[in-house]
Amino acid sequence: MKVLVINAGSSSLKYQLYNMQNESVLASGSVERIGMDSSIVTQEVPGKDETRDVSEILDHVTAIKRVVDMLVHPQYGVLERIEEIQAVGHRVVHGGEVFKQSVLVTDEVKLEIRRLFDLAPLHNPAHMMGITAVETNLPGVPQVVVFDTAFHQSMPKESYLYPIPTVLYRRHKIRRYGFHGTSHHYVSDQAAAYLEQPLESLKMITCHIGNGASCTAIKDGKSFDTSMGLTPLEGLMMGTRSGDLDPAIVPFTMNKEELLLSEVNSMLNKHSGLMAISGISSDMREIVEAMEEGDKNAKLAFDMYTYRLRKYIGAYAAAMNGLDVLVFTAGVGENSTHVRAAACQGLTFLGLELDEERNKVRSRQTRRISTDASKITVLVVPTNEELLIARDTFSIVEDMKG
Amino acid sequence: MKVRTVGVVGMGTMGQGIAEMLAFKGLEVLAIEKTQEKLQQALRMIENSLDKQIEKWALTQTEKKLVLNRIHPISEYAQLAECELVIETISEDLETKIEVIAEIDKHLSPSVILASNTSTLSLTELASASSHPERVIGMHFIHPVFKIDLVEIVRGLKTSDETFQRTKHFIEETIDKKGIMVYESPGFVTTRLICLHINEALHVLEEGVATAEDIDSAMRIGYSFQHGPFEMADRFGLDSVLAALEIMFRDYGELKYRPSIVLKKMVRAGQLGVKTGVGFFNYNEDGERI
Repeated sequence: MKVLVINAGSSSLKYQLYNMQNESVLASGSVERIGMDSSIVTQEVPGKDETRDVSEILDHVTAIKRVVDMLVHPQYGVLERIEEIQAVGHRVVHGGEVFKQSVLVTDEVKLEIRRLFDLAPLHNPAHMMGITAVETNLPGVPQVVVFDTAFHQSMPKESYLYPIPTVLYRRHKIRRYGFHGTSHHYVSDQAAAYLEQPLESLKMITCHIGNGASCTAIKDGKSFDTSMGLTPLEGLMMGTRSGDLDPAIVPFTMNKEELLLSEVNSMLNKHSGLMAISGISSDMREIVEAMEEGDKNAKLAFDMYTYRLRKYIGAYAAAMNGLDVLVFTAGVGENSTHVRAAACQGLTFLGLELDEERNKVRSRQTRRISTDASKITVLVVPTNEELLIARDTFSIVEDMKG
Repeated sequence: MKVRTVGVVGMGTMGQGIAEMLAFKGLEVLAIEKTQEKLQQALRMIENSLDKQIEKWALTQTEKKLVLNRIHPISEYAQLAECELVIETISEDLETKIEVIAEIDKHLSPSVILASNTSTLSLTELASASSHPERVIGMHFIHPVFKIDLVEIVRGLKTSDETFQRTKHFIEETIDKKGIMVYESPGFVTTRLICLHINEALHVLEEGVATAEDIDSAMRIGYSFQHGPFEMADRFGLDSVLAALEIMFRDYGELKYRPSIVLKKMVRAGQLGVKTGVGFFNYNEDGERI
């Protein structure tokens, strides 16, 4: 079966076409600047040159049409007929409390995703446009939605509730949802498979550290706690996001600087984190470079970033009363030897021993970076959210066929 | 028809604010002024305003670039033909406005909405300058456009329901502001109520009941206004407040709109508020109270 995976944003979308017989990527690409007269469609087919096409794409319906055209293009395409696409899987950021796993798209499911617009105003409406656009272009093809929040729905109440008046939870569903669920789910499965042990038997912490960053404590094979909350602002320090802070800072700053809600929101989401402290960049590679050249602010940003990461790892080890496996994934987690080393340095009291040589190895494979004697196994596991979306889509559509 | 490109005719304070806000919301803006110098000056002012917002953390450098790239200066009215909506926001003078509207009208297909950002003039009269008066409507934005999420949608006598519905949809769905419907009437709702509020405060001051500072505190703290009536007047510009009161006094003929003597004196003395640094209170270049 061939499965098309789509991640639709408000003015862009990314796609991958999978052949599920061997889980290989037949083609991948993106549409940028949707809504403009010079939109760009880029497609990559393994072993071939990248194809680029600039044209007017005013909405998601046209965007998906261009993607399909590209996939069946006699010269650049990989399919002979549109009908070869037998299922489509979508990434959806917010599944609220309703969606605890991936589901087939039905009218009810669409209605529910709409109800969640409030909780993810920047993302869910765009995902919905992607779903509708596929319906228009590929009528009758089953679609599956995979939620970023679904994996964390297993959290117990003591993890997901905030100690504020409970009426806020009842009225507005204000609680911890967590994000990057697809990634935490995927890498924890991969880690258990690599170690040849059942996931249920392992106490694991997965650190998804990219532009956004979150830590998840995984116990009995399920998400037990995670650092992002109602929105992806909570938890770790990130590229431009503050992560945890005293909530009183918000009204205090608004008052002192006469800020509007939108301004303080933008300050915490776009002007904080590594960017704010270093004054140089939100990109960890540039921070490390500047630090090595002796920049003090870059060093401070790096130290704060890794200190806060270490605190979360420590907290989750305590939350689970133990830790067997620590996993690093995503852009920074997979590539920054410095961040991994600094985060692990202060965890020796847990019996964690990092193998410096193994940590320095660059690879796109799952690998162990702790010593053989270490009480805690530390792994680097490349994440692959698209593959998990393709797998979920494939299995749900197979089941449906009965 | 979804609005993607908007023409802004007249790039004074309001035109700048409107163009900046539209571009921030992701729309393409075609901007036109009487002269190229004025247009370039307006674009510099928009850049300044964006820089100030970066200081307040409301924007990033990347976002600023995106916003500026969406504002395209043009020199001919004919270039407005590609817009789905044109907003006229030249200075508040009936005859000039009628001339400009007649000129814009020639280049637009009948389905394009032609909006005027007038706060006091008769929409019906302005619409008569168009060969399709049914597509003419009022869109009264409030300064600072970026921050104030309210627009008065003004219906002239001949404005069609379709024009109104499409305008309301644009205000509420595309630029995400609250649109209230008002029928043509001097000062509509906002200008009429707020100018009376300011004028009455001036009477209270004249009568020696309380100081300007204390009257402002009373309304700010007592009734949750962001600014009291005097600081508000300073921020609007005392000349604008006076002009609005005079138009309403003339059109309604009621004494309550008669501008206070203190206001007239201050305008004559050139103490216009924030823009001159002195009004009821003193202000620095950034418009902050000193």
